[in-house]
Amino acid sequence: MIDRRLVDNFDWGILLVAVALSLIGVLTIYSATRPVLDAVQKTFFMRQLYWIALSLIIFFIVVSIDYRWFMKFANVIFLLGIILLVIVLVIGRKGMGAQRWIPLGFLSFQPSEFFKIFFIIAISRYLSFIKPEEGLGFKDLVKIIVFFLAVPVMLILKQPDLGTALILFFIFIAMILAAGIRKKIILTVVIVALVALPFAGKVMWDGLKDYQKMRIIAFIDPQADTQGVGYHINQSKITVGSGGFLGKGYMQGTQGPYRFLPENHTDFIFSIFAEEWGFAGSLVLFAMYLFIIWRGFDTAGKARDMEGCLLVLGVTFMFSLYFFINIGMTLGMVPVVGVPLPLMSYGGTALLSNFLALSMIENVRMRRFALYY
Amino acid sequence: MRRRKIERVEMRKLWDEDPVRIPLQKSRKRALVLVTVILFCFAVIGWRLIDLMILDHDKLTDRASQQYIREKTIAPQRGIIWDRKMRQMAANIESDSLYAVPSKIEDTRTLTKKLARLTKISSKKFNMDLLKKKNKDFIWIDRKMDLETVREIRKLLDKMGYDSVGFIPESKRFYPKGRTASHILGFTNIDNKGISGLELKYNTYLKGKARYVSVGTDARGNRLSSNIKEGFSGNNLVLTIDEGIQYIVEKELDNAMDESKAKAAVAIMMDPMTGEILAMANRPTYDPNTAGKFRDYMRRNRAITDLYEPGSTLKTILAAAALEEGVVDLNDEFDVSDGFIVVGGKRIRDTHKNKILTFQEVIQRSSNVGAVYVGMRLGGENYYRYIKKFGFGRKTGIDYPGEVKGILRKPENWSGTSLAALSIGQEIGVTPLQLLRAYAAIANGGALMKPYIVSDIISSSGSIVKRVSPELSGRVISSRTAKKVTDILKTVVEEGGTATRAYIDGNLVAGKTGTAQIYDQKTKRYSRDRFVGSFVGFVPADHPKIALIVVIYEPRGVSYGGVVAAPVFKKIIEQTFAYLDVPMERDENRIVLVNRFR
Repeated sequence: MIDRRLVDNFDWGILLVAVALSLIGVLTIYSATRPVLDAVQKTFFMRQLYWIALSLIIFFIVVSIDYRWFMKFANVIFLLGIILLVIVLVIGRKGMGAQRWIPLGFLSFQPSEFFKIFFIIAISRYLSFIKPEEGLGFKDLVKIIVFFLAVPVMLILKQPDLGTALILFFIFIAMILAAGIRKKIILTVVIVALVALPFAGKVMWDGLKDYQKMRIIAFIDPQADTQGVGYHINQSKITVGSGGFLGKGYMQGTQGPYRFLPENHTDFIFSIFAEEWGFAGSLVLFAMYLFIIWRGFDTAGKARDMEGCLLVLGVTFMFSLYFFINIGMTLGMVPVVGVPLPLMSYGGTALLSNFLALSMIENVRMRRFALYY
Repeated sequence: MRRRKIERVEMRKLWDEDPVRIPLQKSRKRALVLVTVILFCFAVIGWRLIDLMILDHDKLTDRASQQYIREKTIAPQRGIIWDRKMRQMAANIESDSLYAVPSKIEDTRTLTKKLARLTKISSKKFNMDLLKKKNKDFIWIDRKMDLETVREIRKLLDKMGYDSVGFIPESKRFYPKGRTASHILGFTNIDNKGISGLELKYNTYLKGKARYVSVGTDARGNRLSSNIKEGFSGNNLVLTIDEGIQYIVEKELDNAMDESKAKAAVAIMMDPMTGEILAMANRPTYDPNTAGKFRDYMRRNRAITDLYEPGSTLKTILAAAALEEGVVDLNDEFDVSDGFIVVGGKRIRDTHKNKILTFQEVIQRSSNVGAVYVGMRLGGENYYRYIKKFGFGRKTGIDYPGEVKGILRKPENWSGTSLAALSIGQEIGVTPLQLLRAYAAIANGGALMKPYIVSDIISSSGSIVKRVSPELSGRVISSRTAKKVTDILKTVVEEGGTATRAYIDGNLVAGKTGTAQIYDQKTKRYSRDRFVGSFVGFVPADHPKIALIVVIYEPRGVSYGGVVAAPVFKKIIEQTFAYLDVPMERDENRIVLVNRFR
């Protein structure tokens, strides 16, 4: 049975704001995909509703299990994740030039979405296990990279999914820094990076696919080719800007249904929201995201052990990263990298993984008072 | 309560003792950095949001609507102008216009050189224009070009390709009769907007309404919505003008200009019963198809917009007033044997010496001295009242733009010579139309009619938008007086009158000559060698069908109205009667006449 005191410590704020955001997401998806030519409404919004229901069920299941139990099996979870990543490469379904989905009958899911959380669990567990009193040493760093980072990053790059790989990398750096690392190493890495940058930059640029190069060019100069690669950025700016202070009103936006803005119900869902709800609505939306991010970092500070602290830190950092990269992308401040907006963008796996991340925060927050156990 | 407090204390103890938490205690600084970074990120996206949604809002909204709304206007057909027998006087033809897409032109210099040779535009200016509008997607190069030029350019473009230059057909105003009735019709600009004449006056009727189509499309070009504001073709005009008569009048004016080497000439023909203008012509003239090539003075309609001193032709008005007021009788005698009279220090002469003239003969021979005597009998106030009544000093109200009202001073502003001057048609400025209308009033028994040129306005579907009927401006004299004045005017063209050259076989003419010196504004004196010769009258005198005025400005050589204008009057009337099949009052000449003009 669930402990009564656990229920008392349950933080309803996070859950309510998260559910509210995902429902706003459904409304916006409905508006963005509303038909103008024929009268048949696309079913994206219904599917998203099913996924929200599923996510809530999983959220409560995960919350009821003590996170330390997950920690115990961190290595197993991590291995499971790696296996999924391998499977996706073998039997995965191709979509938009990449092999990211595993078909599961009526639905398909993206293992790399869940893997990020598995990855955070494993790293948190490992970092708190070696308890670096003086900060991580060089040896520790190499070990972690070899054990946890190298294999999954390579597998994900093979799909290829540069965005997820980069995010994994950033989460890794953030967690290393949070756990503490010797200043000497930071200094060395920075110097090596600076020296290697021109060379590495060349290798990386050559390694990029053509469409990725185009996106970067388009980001630097969107006017260079407004019908080609700059199209996304231009259309997104037009969509957001035409909203004005109060917006055009719900179901009044034109950019989405008229299909000027591509990916309008997935990655560019915020543009559609901004067009219809305006500057004022966007600020309210930002406040809701800020609330979740704040609750996350607050929970990290209050966690009763280092495992929990690092876990929540990693998860919150991931959530924030997605939020800022997505918004930056829709506002033309970051290259188009295909990152969804947490909780709002259409996409079941991403939604579930976001609720999973929030359930980790809730889990640690509920159990922050060690005395009861 | 108490229990909870204890719990907290113990809890803190546990926190402190937990070795795992030690590195986190150092993290206060890191937390601060984290909060700063997060808030900074929010500030950045917030600022960007203000930038896009508030500062750039208008610009981006325009771009949003531009990309899904395509607008197009289709110019309407301008109304057709017909003469009274439904012959086209103004119509529309398709004409090609040349446009360029500057953003697609790579080598402007070669293109401009090649095109400039074929069009009349200078290649330098053309090149500059293209460079200045480099980013535009559309500019006109030349519009409504003639067929020859279009053919030449098409030859060139067939070789070069139509990527950056092309033709669009446009509706162009066309005047099939060329110079005929040019002053009446007026002309339009390149955008088919009326600029002068009836084209200007009736522009709102003629122009129609453009069809406006705006189509909302999605990114793939699917039509989502369309908003059509239906346009309509312009209304058509039916004129009171008869093209046949107009042609006769214009031809005779040309002949008169050749013979008299005059500076200008005007003729107006009117139906005296209704006020309908049957013809109106001016010399010099112009071709409305290429109106831009003609100077201003050639395009001016002097008949309505220019003033002159009527001279002796105004004596008819004096006679009508004097008879109506009963101050003279047809057989009253005036002693004009001196040949001059001095009024207010001014000497007024007769051109021919006479002894004693009856009132009727004063008008017939156009005696200035006699007229002054009549004027003095009538008195200034009375005379002024009649001049005013006959429509001088105010606009006739004709449906034509730019009409002037003339110059007529009130008696209180008169000098000592004014009454005498007015008696012989000086110190007054009139338009030929005003004078003709006054004579028409005598012709029809005393009714001053409002002249008009457009009789019907018909919509493109054929329904009548407006029908103009004759309008009475006022009664001026009794029909008895009118009859008496007509009888006097009949004698003018008879033996002893000033206008024997206006005598017509078969029909009686009532009319009056006028020879006015031109008042020189510079020297403030009447010129000795610049005259306006005119003849105005109506035929047949007792059942008038036509009132006509002919004014010849500054003829060379002999300048008497009876010499320069009267023959023109006669020729026009004769041909017009033949054209109209007007029966003759005197039977014996009928067959001869019909044969002559058939």
